[in-house]
Amino acid sequence: MGDSCTNKYEPFPVVISRTLPQIGEHRLFQLKIEDGRSWEEFGHQPGQFVEVSIFGKGEAPISISSPPTRPDYLEICVRKTGKITDALFEMGKGSRLHIRGPYGRGFPVDELKGHKLLLVAGGLGLAPLRSLLLYVLDRREEFKDLILMYGTNNPDNVLFKYELLSFFDRDDIKYYYSVDRDQEGIWKQYVGLVTGLFDHATLSVEDTKAVLCGPPIMYRFVMEKLLKLGFPKDNIYMSLERMMKCGVGKCGHCAIGEKYCCIDGPVFNYTEVEHIKEAI
Amino acid sequence: MKKIAKHNIIAVLKAWAKDHTVIAPQRKDHDEIAFDTFDEASFTLEYTKSSVSPKQALFPQNEVIFRIEDGTYRQVTDEKKRLLFGIRPCDMKALLQSRDFMSKDFKDVYYEARAQGAATVVMACAGPQSPTCFCTTTRSGPWSDAGYDLQLTDLGDSFLVEIGSAKGEALASSELFSPIDDAEAGRLLAPLRKEAEERIPLVPQVLEVMEKLKLSGVPDDAWEYFGNKCINCGGCSFVCPTCTCFNIFDRVVSEGNGERIRSWDSCLYAGFTKEASGHNPRGTQGLRIKRRHEHKLLYHNDRKTHGAVSTCVGCGRCSDYCPVHIGTIEVAKHLTEKKS
Ligand code: SF4
Ligand code: FES
Repeated sequence: MGDSCTNKYEPFPVVISRTLPQIGEHRLFQLKIEDGRSWEEFGHQPGQFVEVSIFGKGEAPISISSPPTRPDYLEICVRKTGKITDALFEMGKGSRLHIRGPYGRGFPVDELKGHKLLLVAGGLGLAPLRSLLLYVLDRREEFKDLILMYGTNNPDNVLFKYELLSFFDRDDIKYYYSVDRDQEGIWKQYVGLVTGLFDHATLSVEDTKAVLCGPPIMYRFVMEKLLKLGFPKDNIYMSLERMMKCGVGKCGHCAIGEKYCCIDGPVFNYTEVEHIKEAI
Repeated sequence: MKKIAKHNIIAVLKAWAKDHTVIAPQRKDHDEIAFDTFDEASFTLEYTKSSVSPKQALFPQNEVIFRIEDGTYRQVTDEKKRLLFGIRPCDMKALLQSRDFMSKDFKDVYYEARAQGAATVVMACAGPQSPTCFCTTTRSGPWSDAGYDLQLTDLGDSFLVEIGSAKGEALASSELFSPIDDAEAGRLLAPLRKEAEERIPLVPQVLEVMEKLKLSGVPDDAWEYFGNKCINCGGCSFVCPTCTCFNIFDRVVSEGNGERIRSWDSCLYAGFTKEASGHNPRGTQGLRIKRRHEHKLLYHNDRKTHGAVSTCVGCGRCSDYCPVHIGTIEVAKHLTEKKS
């Protein structure tokens, strides 16, 4: 684990300590290290990912959803989309699997400290962003104003619903939630694209760092908004998704231009990727 | 420097084979040249370049990286000491580039295990070269300037032996090698090098296209022209000495037992970048052709090039083997001829 292991490809055993069903085909898995040690020495940072290894099925990159401030468990939020995740969904509390990591450059926590934050998530993008969100909430005094915008396609697809609802009781976070469509008319908040939330939020561009996490299409539109509002490019960060096979900068699958998403990212400052055509 | 008589080469290879796995040019079925374990019967000195680059000696097409027993992963590394005999300067350059890439940031233990103990004996390209060679353009041949343990130059009935390292010194220490005065060796080498360098045609379009990629890029429809022809076979990546992309997968023998394997992969395959969500950031074959060529001709910063101008080392194998003529030479010529 961590640096003590010289073979970066070698996975170590973990045990599922809890599974929390999310919407539809999504599930949150809480993992414990097999011998019960804390995750502290794993050394993960918000925004990093692990390779989940299920022998016979292979490996899949999954972002870490829990912050290092909660070292009793490691949480991964998984969408059922293929061989490996299918196998994972067959597993329950007490099942054993392997992971390796943590990998990648996460959110630049140190650069974000002392600033106002605007976190924008779309769809499953909330899964990685949640590690930062909870980190900020756990160390609230180290950051200034916190705004969360989260958009998803319909009210049934809201991830981490209870957590999001729990923010209603807090006054140290401003939240804006949207759904693209609300056919049954049950949604009490904004209906429309996540970019529409910008018309409802009071934002100060000054001293604010924006962190985006969502599908590629969201980046294009949210970027447009942010730039129009006058956000300096270097105050914008984004987490990019790629097919990350090895996680250690060797297999080539995750390459974006001259960068490797798995080691140079997945979190990039906008200025690092704006010139790379295939990035966003 | 040293010299060795040609008729002594077999004896030397046999001596080296006592404490190395010697990988040498072997003539296979259909007259194909492959780098494989030395076997006197099929060994040959009559070759220009091998079909597949010798990269497979350090980075096999398929390799077991873990054996899994009762759900426990046991690392499998191959630390056999190899000696690569007769590799060409372009392939030597590729090997140096790949080794840097595999050991930077995170060390690839599998590659390193093989590379660490490996010795290299380069065969300089005094000629004849193959018609697709363009190492004088990429500055990766026809002689190696560094990195080898030994470099041989064909003098007719003997080889001139340049010693590049302490390891090389030890390899050439037997009485089969005779010393030769450095000045005299230089006198022998100079005209051969000059003659070979003049004979290998320059392909200025390769340098032009590199410049173009750097300054303005090439419009996507120019890449789509090739994308439409490409049959997605991946052959270009497999024969390429600097392609090191791979896939990882498991082979199950019984419940909880089996192997984790890695094997060569290719950025020309549509599934190479396809994410679990179904989204594919490189959605067309043109974009995948673009990726391959930008990696070889534009992005150098992820690999030290060891004096070459690019991570393409000018071996010409993609031009030899692509069934629809999408080699680096053809691509460079097309992209610089067209007004775009
Ligand atoms: S060898 Fe030619 S046809 Fe095959 S993948 Fe490469 S470019 Fe395409
Ligand atoms: S995931 Fe293998 S290089 Fe990034």
